[in-house]
Formats: sequence, structure tokens, C-alpha cells
Amino acid sequence: MTDKIIEILKSRNIDAWEITDTVTEGWEFYFIKQELDQNRVRDVEHIVLNVYRKLEDGKILGSASQEIPPTATEKEIEKTVDELYERASFVKNPYYELNKKKVEVEKRSFNPEETAKAYIEAMQQIPETSTADINSYEIFAESCTRRYVNSEGIDVTESYPNSMVEVVVNARNDEHEIELYRMYNAGTCDSENLKKEIEETLRYGKDRLVTKPTPALGKATVIIPSADATRIYDWIGTRMYVSMKYRGYSDWEVGKDIIPGAVGDKISFKLVKELPNSSLNRQVDKQGAAIRDMYVIKDNIAESYWGERQFAYYLGVEDSFICGNYEVEGGSATEAELRCGQYLEAVEFSDFSVDPITGDFAGEIRLAYYHDGDKVTPVSGGSVSGSLLEILKNVKLSKEKRQFDNFLVPSIIKMENVTIAGVE
Amino acid sequence: MKAKFSEYLNTIAPGLKKLIAELDKSFDYVSVLATDSVGFTMSASQKVKSIRGNSTLMSERGNVVRVYKDGLYSEYSFNIFDCDKAVEMADKIRKILDRQLSVLKATDSKIYNTKKLADEKQELFVEMETDSMPEETDLDALLQKLQKFSDEGKASSEYVIDCNISAQSTHVCKMFLTANRDLRQSYVISEGGLSVIGVKNGKNDMAYNGLSGRKGPALFDEYEELVKKTCKELLDNLDSEHVEPGEYEIITTPEVSGLIAHEAFGHGVEMDMFVKKRALGAEYIDKRVGSDMVTMHEGAKCVEDVASYAFDDEGTLAGDVIEIDKGILKTGVCDALAALRLGVEPTGNGKRENFEHKVYTRMTNTMFDSGESTKEEMIASVKKGYLLSGMYSGMEDPKHWGIQCIVARGYEIIDGKLTGKVVAPVVMTGYVPDLLGSISMVSKDYVSFGSGACGKGHKEWVKVSDGGPYLKAVARLG
Repeated sequence: MTDKIIEILKSRNIDAWEITDTVTEGWEFYFIKQELDQNRVRDVEHIVLNVYRKLEDGKILGSASQEIPPTATEKEIEKTVDELYERASFVKNPYYELNKKKVEVEKRSFNPEETAKAYIEAMQQIPETSTADINSYEIFAESCTRRYVNSEGIDVTESYPNSMVEVVVNARNDEHEIELYRMYNAGTCDSENLKKEIEETLRYGKDRLVTKPTPALGKATVIIPSADATRIYDWIGTRMYVSMKYRGYSDWEVGKDIIPGAVGDKISFKLVKELPNSSLNRQVDKQGAAIRDMYVIKDNIAESYWGERQFAYYLGVEDSFICGNYEVEGGSATEAELRCGQYLEAVEFSDFSVDPITGDFAGEIRLAYYHDGDKVTPVSGGSVSGSLLEILKNVKLSKEKRQFDNFLVPSIIKMENVTIAGVE
Repeated sequence: MKAKFSEYLNTIAPGLKKLIAELDKSFDYVSVLATDSVGFTMSASQKVKSIRGNSTLMSERGNVVRVYKDGLYSEYSFNIFDCDKAVEMADKIRKILDRQLSVLKATDSKIYNTKKLADEKQELFVEMETDSMPEETDLDALLQKLQKFSDEGKASSEYVIDCNISAQSTHVCKMFLTANRDLRQSYVISEGGLSVIGVKNGKNDMAYNGLSGRKGPALFDEYEELVKKTCKELLDNLDSEHVEPGEYEIITTPEVSGLIAHEAFGHGVEMDMFVKKRALGAEYIDKRVGSDMVTMHEGAKCVEDVASYAFDDEGTLAGDVIEIDKGILKTGVCDALAALRLGVEPTGNGKRENFEHKVYTRMTNTMFDSGESTKEEMIASVKKGYLLSGMYSGMEDPKHWGIQCIVARGYEIIDGKLTGKVVAPVVMTGYVPDLLGSISMVSKDYVSFGSGACGKGHKEWVKVSDGGPYLKAVARLG
């Protein structure tokens, strides 16, 4: 199908074009407790065509895109190409060039059947008790093959795995029952890591049963040891994304301090081509650019913008690419050294969210540990909130690191002066 | 005009019926949901524009087969189908599902035994009314119109740096087939979002409003008024302070009321959660969960918005359920398989993100009923509190009835009057029965909002709408 589309594009002398053709075989198993609720297979192909048109003596580049069903006839493809070429004349953006550098990728193959089986076996080995067990889980295992081809001579095909397990954990005592929710993404099944993560969740579940209301602390020190911290790092990385910069939504400048006057640990944020078993390990991005390791921010100084071709071209960023894996370097103190004084260790939120524009963050506390000297009290209810632009002026990052799928980050982040709306 | 049903689906229907007949030889129940929904997304801003075809949440072309044997339901999703090769396709489906069963056998997995779905004779053909069609829209003219609105937003204040406007319209066509059933529906939905971004004294902020309806792209004319409203709200946010954490009297705009409806007793009464014993709501049927002033409807038929269809993705006809009647929880909503397992009737709430995804019990339109008060009377009744306006996100906890709503801003009310002071953003948290139990006034208004999408957990995104009137309650803000 893709070759037929290319033939039609060439016959019409379209100024520039790119096609992404992704074939996916997915195996899915849905369990209630340890009984199979449903099994599913996905066998699909998605083809997306982008058509570009030079306008106004090449100063302007029009573009339009559309998914073309793999069942489309030759006539339907021709009609779509003609419509897109016309639509492209409506969408007038400053001129930019598509990627041109040839990319070589290593050929790999993956079997969703094996991955799904490994997940089922891993989930059957979780040690459940009468007071903490698995409520339900869903297994998704995929093998994907993506071909990217454009008018500038790039034609590259990459295969990669993708998997996810959604797990709901229950814990109960004589009075009530609670649940915790987890979504574990990975390339393929890492049984040992999965079991370790779920066992930690089961422990949190037991603690949540005996929580007291979160005290109204006003402003307090907060430690986040969970995957929720990746939302903070994601926001930092996104501030350096080319489209955020080009649109004027981020005022961070290459060569300048991202947080002037910061007294805490300095932030170093790096794009990483591969992390062990990450679900986002790719050799080439969705626009045909090679992915490599690269610092975006080093010691609080912005080093490079990154991201998609169009905005990178506008900003004059050479060899830009879209990357899904990130690494944040650790700080100067160990986790044990940072765990001192009075602080709230928040391990479960309803939804920890960070506003991409303002950096305001907030989350309802489902489970936190209030550390007051040697005394540790599990608490729940209320919320944490604050502004990352303020908080990052004095933040501490542990030396030790922990991987959450596509993020390799300090195992804890310690933040001062976070607003706590308690319920006590 | 009528939204015409897909020619493509009509063409493949005989082939799919042949596929069903072939699979019927091996399975006790077979259904196919086939989809062919087309649409466009476009956006305009000060720096960049775009048009993308078939990229809306509901754009799709593909099929999903559901089969049943020995107590187990299995599915196969595919988007390459040749009517002349239905027999070969049936063989392929049997083989790959057998491979899955081999994995289950090898891992000694047990089956959650479920009864067989009924398959009584039924035919339905619905082409709903629409004012315009996405396929026939003059995209050049529409993009120019959006650009004009964006330029007006930018020009409205020196503090505005960008005004992003998006417009999406989808012509949805779905066909549900079994050996005895043939249901076909066609309708158009449109939605859009307007976000205005600004900077003042080094502070960045954003204001957002959406549009939605079971309408065609003519809906986007409504942006004219929305641009002015959103720009004003941005300026309110730029001058805002942080709220002092504590418990306050609140008045929620219909949009925030909808967020509460959705998070409080939307997810909490999706009855596939009852099957998994994940919802506290199962134990509260016929018990009080709110004040006498709380009545809540849920269903594809209860209002006309983006989730208003004729039948769901399992072929159950659309419904309208009273979930809460004068503060008493009466029932939940249910997909067909959860209904079989619970021994109740399905309510037409079995939805998929698209043909590639499993069916879950999902919300459609979730609405608080309106009351007798006016917004002005409600504000006048507040001693100290906030009028909460604009929503960013929400999250529920059906097992524990915790609720989190992140609201765009709160307008301070002291002694019955708006003071002009604004706090933003506002995190509203609480215990659902406490929050609904505190509702003491309900306005006459009744508005639905459907520009967003709803996930189950953190995935399975579907279109929903929610809303209702202004509500007066008491809540914890932070």
C-alpha cells in the first residue's frame, strides 16, 4: 500500500511528502482476580500521509495530513492526495525542510505471544495474602513495525516492542477495603522488576488502611519517591521543547540559568536513546531523524532545545530529534541523608498533575508518610500544591537513581515550602 | 440534513455477514462492530496552523469480531478485510485465538465463566439530523475564520502572547452485526478548544474553554463570544493569588458541576467496577449519597451532545438512567457483559475507545438536574467562599469515594458579593457523600460540556459530556 501511495505522489510531482506506515500485532489478556475475563488480538495497519506544498516563492510551506485506510483503493488514494495538496495551500506556515540524513537501524524482532505469556506467569507469582491481593489486571503486549519514508530520500523501517500491565491492588482489614492503581509500561516483560514493583504497591495498600487525616501543615517539606516525580522532570524537559520555545510559552534560553538564584541541587536533564527495557526505545524518531544521547540542561544551564523538525528548523537547531527516554542526574546527597527532619513523603496521589504553561502542580493525597523525628505516620486526604518555578529554587535530588519505564531519575526529590491542604 | 450512512460499510456488510456465518460454525455467539468514521482537526494560532484528516478521537475505519465459547468471550480487531476472503479470515481468527488459548492452557489460567449474550432479531437504521457535514466543509474558509478569532484574542490585551483555537468534526458511522441483528447509525459531532496564553509581570498562565455538540462544523461560529470570555478569564488568572487552604462555601459553574458529576457518581457507578468489586457504590444502592437537591441522570439519550448515539458498541440501544434521585443512589450504568454477570439489564453504556479496544462500561452524558434558584441568589447567600469557574482535570476513587478536581479559578465572595479577588488554580478535594450532601442550592440553568475526553484509569479515552446547573456546596480548597 505504501509503495502505491509513493507511486501516486511521484506521478503528481508533489513538492514534499512523508509517510508513516505502522503495523501492530497486539496480544491482550484481561483478568479479574486470577481468572480470565477476556482475551483479544489486534492486527492492524495505520498509514499516515503528510503532503507539503511550497507557496509564495518558497517562503511558505503548506501542509496537510491524513490517515489513509489500508483498504483504500487506488482511486481513493489519488483523491486523498489531490485533496491534501489543495488543503496544504490553506495551511500557510513559514518554510522548513524535512529531514534528509540517511539513517541506518539495527533489525530486531519481537514476539507478543512470549511477552504476554511471561506477564501471565509473573502475575501468578505475586504473593497475595488474605489482607492484600490483586483485584484485577490487564496485559498488553505488542510487536510494532514502523516504516518512515519521505521525499528527501529517507526510507527506514524499525521494529520495536511495547507492553503494559494495568494492575489494581486491594488491601483490607475488618473495617474497610481500599484499592491502589498502577500502570507499568515497558518494552517486554521484566518479571523480576514487575514483581518487585507490585509487592511495593501491596505494602502501600496495607499502610493506606491505617492512615490518619493529613495534618494541615500549611507549608512543608515534601519528598516524592514515586513515578509521580517524573511529571516534574517531564515539565522541565518540555520547557526546552522547540515548539514551546518557538511559540513563546517558555522563556528558558540556551546558555542561561533555568532557575536563576537556585540554592538547591542543580538540574541536569538528558535525552537518552535507550534505557533498559524502556517502552520508548527507538533508533529513529517519527520524522526520520536519528536518536542519540544529548544533554538538554546541564547544571541548571540550558544546553539545547530539542524536538520536532518544523520548530527546530525555525529556531536553527541542527540535527534535532524527538526522544522518549530521559535521564535526570542525581544530586550531592544520598537518599538517607535527605531523609531528615520533618517532612511529608507522598507516595500515592489521585492524580499528580503539572500545568505545562504555569508549572503549577497539585495532587490529592491518597497515601503519604508524615515523618516527624523518629515517628512515621501514614496519612491520607487533602492535597499538595505549589509552583515549580518557585519550588525548583531549592530542590534536593538523591544520588541514587531509579528507573520508571522511560525515565531514569533520582530515587527521591525533596521540595521545600510546598502547600499542604490538610484535613485534620 | 441527514448524516448519510457510510457507503463503505454498506459495501462490506455482506462480507462481514459471511464471516459471521463462518465463525458461527465454531462459536456459540459471534458479533462484528464495523466502523467508518471520518473527520478533520484543524488549529490556528499566532505562530502555526494545521489541518489533519481522520485524526479526531473518533475517526476510525476497522472491525472487531467478538466470539463466545465455553464461558469465554474473545475478540479480534482488524482493519484489512476482503469480502471475497471471509472464509480465509474466519480461519485466521480461529487460529490466532486458538494460539491464545494455548498460552492460557500452558499457564494453567482459569476462565471467568460468563453466560452467552442473547441474539434476538433486531434491525435499526438511523441517520441523525445535522446542520452540516465535516466532509463538505470549506476548510480554507474555516481555517481563516479560526485565524481571525485567534488574531482577535491576541489583540485583546498586551498580556496575551497566543490564542490557540482548535476545531474537530467527525462523521461517525457504526454498524453492529450478528446472525440476527443488523444495526446501523450515522451522526455528526463537533468539538473545539480555545486556549489563551499570557504573561504578566513574569507570570505565565492560560485560560481554556471548549465547545461541543452533536452538530456539524457550523458549531464553530460560537467561538466569537467564547474568545472574549476566555481572554477575560486569562487576565483574571494573571492577577490571581493562591487560595488559603481550608473549607469554604462554594458555587460551581455548570462546567465545574459537570466535573463533579463525572468524577463523583460517574465512574463510581460504572457497573463493570461492581463485577470487580471495585466500587463502593454497589453497597449504597437505595441509600443516601447526597442532599435532597441532588438528582443525576446518565445516558446517551439524556441530553444531546457528543456522546448521544442510537446504540452502543455492543448493539444495546441508548438509554437514560436516573442514577441519583433526590439524594438516593438508585442504580448504575452497565455494559452487556457486566449486565450478564450481575443479572441486570444493560443500559447502553458499553463503549470502546475505537474498534481496536475492549468494551468497558463507560459514561455518556452525566448531568445534574436543574433546580429553582438563580445564580445571583446563590452568590447572595454566601458568607465567605468562592465561585469556582473553569476546569482542568478530575480524578475519582470509586472504592474510597475521594474526589479531586483541579479548577481553573475561584472568584472570592464575601457577604454575598463578588469582591473581584481571584484565586488560581484551585484544588478541590473531599469525600463524595460529604460534598454532595452539602449541596444546598441548585440553579435553573442546564448546560452540557463535551469538549474533553474521559479515560478509564489512565487509558481508554472516549467522548463524554457532563454538566447541569450552578450548585452551592461546601468543599475543601487548596
